Amino acid sequence: MKSFSLILRNEWRIMIADKSLILVCTLLTLLLSYGFFIGLSEAVSRDERVRELVSQQERGQSGIVEQIQRIVSGHEKPDVFANPLNPALVGSGLGSLYAIMHSGALSPLALGQSDLLPDHYRVSTRNKTTFMYQTENESPWNLLTGRFDPVFVLVYLLPLFIFAISYNLLSSEKEQGTLRMQLSHPVTLQTLMFGKLFARLVPVLGVTILAVIVPFLILRGDAVMVSGQLPHLVVAIIIIGAYGFFWFAVTLFVNSFGFSSASNALILVGTWVFLVLVAPVLLNVFVSRMSPAPSRIELATETRLITIDGLNRYHELLSSDYRHIKDSSMLVPSDGKFEVPERLQAFYLINKAVDEKIETLLGDFESRLRAQQDLVERFGFVSPSVLTYEGLVSLAGTGTRRYQDFKQQVNDYHREWKEFFEPRIMSGQIVTVADFEKLPRFTWQEPDVSILLAGSLAKALQIFLATVVLFALGFMRLAKVDVL
Amino acid sequence: MLKANSLTKNFNSNIALNSVSLSVSQGEIYCLLGANGAGKTTLINHFLGFLKPTSGEVLVNGKCVTSNPLDTKRDIAYIPENVMLYGVLTGLENLEYFSALATGRKKPRDVLRKLLADVGLPAEAAERRVATYSKGMRQKVGITIAMAKNAKALLLDEPTSGLDPKAANEFSRLLKTASENGVAVFTTTHDLFHAKETGNRIGIMRSGSLLAEFNSDDVSHADMESIYLKNMRD
Ligand SMILES: Nc1ncnc2c1ncn2[C@@H]1O[C@H](COP(=O)(O)OP(=O)(O)OP(=O)(O)O)[C@@H](O)[C@H]1O
Ligand SMILES: [Mg+2]
Repeated sequence: MKSFSLILRNEWRIMIADKSLILVCTLLTLLLSYGFFIGLSEAVSRDERVRELVSQQERGQSGIVEQIQRIVSGHEKPDVFANPLNPALVGSGLGSLYAIMHSGALSPLALGQSDLLPDHYRVSTRNKTTFMYQTENESPWNLLTGRFDPVFVLVYLLPLFIFAISYNLLSSEKEQGTLRMQLSHPVTLQTLMFGKLFARLVPVLGVTILAVIVPFLILRGDAVMVSGQLPHLVVAIIIIGAYGFFWFAVTLFVNSFGFSSASNALILVGTWVFLVLVAPVLLNVFVSRMSPAPSRIELATETRLITIDGLNRYHELLSSDYRHIKDSSMLVPSDGKFEVPERLQAFYLINKAVDEKIETLLGDFESRLRAQQDLVERFGFVSPSVLTYEGLVSLAGTGTRRYQDFKQQVNDYHREWKEFFEPRIMSGQIVTVADFEKLPRFTWQEPDVSILLAGSLAKALQIFLATVVLFALGFMRLAKVDVL
Repeated sequence: MLKANSLTKNFNSNIALNSVSLSVSQGEIYCLLGANGAGKTTLINHFLGFLKPTSGEVLVNGKCVTSNPLDTKRDIAYIPENVMLYGVLTGLENLEYFSALATGRKKPRDVLRKLLADVGLPAEAAERRVATYSKGMRQKVGITIAMAKNAKALLLDEPTSGLDPKAANEFSRLLKTASENGVAVFTTTHDLFHAKETGNRIGIMRSGSLLAEFNSDDVSHADMESIYLKNMRD
């Protein structure tokens, strides 16, 4: 133990003298800070956009309420195509509300799906494909998106920095001739190597973790505390720590074979390419084999067919007369009753029918996406990079799972919205000011935190297991390595 | 103190040591002579546990090196032919680290400075990076590290290589003082004169075999040379 701390301090002295440690730590800090800056500005502008939408929506709502009051009191004549008393118009767009999923407190950590999937939908009585399935990608789940955020620096670049300062842990001592100088004293090669390794591991992981935590606590501390996401941050740090340990274990293991520095560098880069670049792609291929991605084109075609079918079925209602256009007295209610044009009722019914018909289609679509995500999680162990990416992204609240939950909740909200309007549309009740207060509103329900945290910890545990195995193998190999 | 019992070492088909037996007791200075590739360094590597014997055994202070690698290293100090140190650290910092590694205790810097001065390293050089040192200067730091260990045995592989005559002479005196204090000294050399001057016992090795052993008092300088050359022939 005494030799261990002696070796540790001597290594620090050497790495400070040759500036390698300072260089690596500074670069890591800069890159992580820059990643955080990008992640934060994305999160801030997303929040800004959502705030803007909400205030716009509130202004719109109060405008409509005032208009209703003016019409009811006879101060204003309603417009045919924008009558705020008409439940069919209010429900299908005029009074539509946003369903919004707020960004998580840790979202600057990882952009994840946030630039691919919408975090808000404008829900109406129209069928889901009109507001939910238009803007998304063919395959909305994807691993390791190459955006510059802290997760990118951690998953891709951290291993390279670790290699840079420890690829020649043993070989340089051998090549310099300092190995035999040290091993002529009562110290084992294992103590020497672990001392040298921890002399690098402690500052590099320390700096990495600080460079992740400190900006969060300074610039996002309130959000983290208010949302109760401190445990998320802690678990994220555990994953990052595990990932860092893993790559140090890899370098120790590779070094323990006693190859030359050049061979070590080559082997390490090869390992990096495989685990960080190739394995996630292979996993993607495997997942799409096992559970093929649902086709969006197919979905669009089916939707169109169903809509056409609806149009045909409600043909009669749709071709009803347009007398209310000429007779504007019909637009004003009598005894809270109001004649909703049959055309609009038909329009509602078509959409309802489309929703019912595509329900199984969309359900299938969603469950296939979920099945893919399940596979990614189940087989994430093929690479610690996948585990780390998936873990951090889900903690940041930008993971596929959370977006899928959001869609599920929007689905329920859509049903609620339609249930609110259907009786009003079909029986022709006017929309009152009081109704506006009763309008179903969407509140995003954060999925079960304990499941998220447990799942993330399980990922950290898998990485730790791989790390322990590599350390143990490296330790055993070192006993056999030729020191000359 | 140092003992090799019919030590044999094969590198694949190459026999580097062929049933070598020798022993160095306390207070003795043993000089091993032999041509390049005779197996001298290989023998020392066995005492350090860097190589495992193909057969036979090596003992330090009665303990087998293979089964007590750490214990036996407490009792020996080693100076290689080329002392290699950390280039970015100063001589003093190198000495501080290696001697602490050797003994488990950190010595005060003033004591270490004095030790370096004793082997003739200029005070100014002690505070300089080792990367700027000459071979002899590194060798001097190596000698200081070994001496600071206060070990029961010294293993020296051509320790004076690169030293100027004055420093070599001073080193010989250091060895004599050490042996007077009961240290067993085992050194390899190509310098017959030096061997005769400092050694009590002299061994001659060729192609992995120890061919002759005698007390240095029993032979003259002239005898030394003829014995050596005779063993190098045929
Ligand atoms: N690690 C090794 N692997 C293979 N062969 C080796 C190894 N070390 C030494 N040898 C061989 O063993 C023989 C003895 O080498 P050794 O270094 O012991 O000679 P030496 O007496 O120290 O020579 P010198 O006077 O040049 O220092 C040589 O033939 C050498 O090639
Ligand atoms: Mg040699």
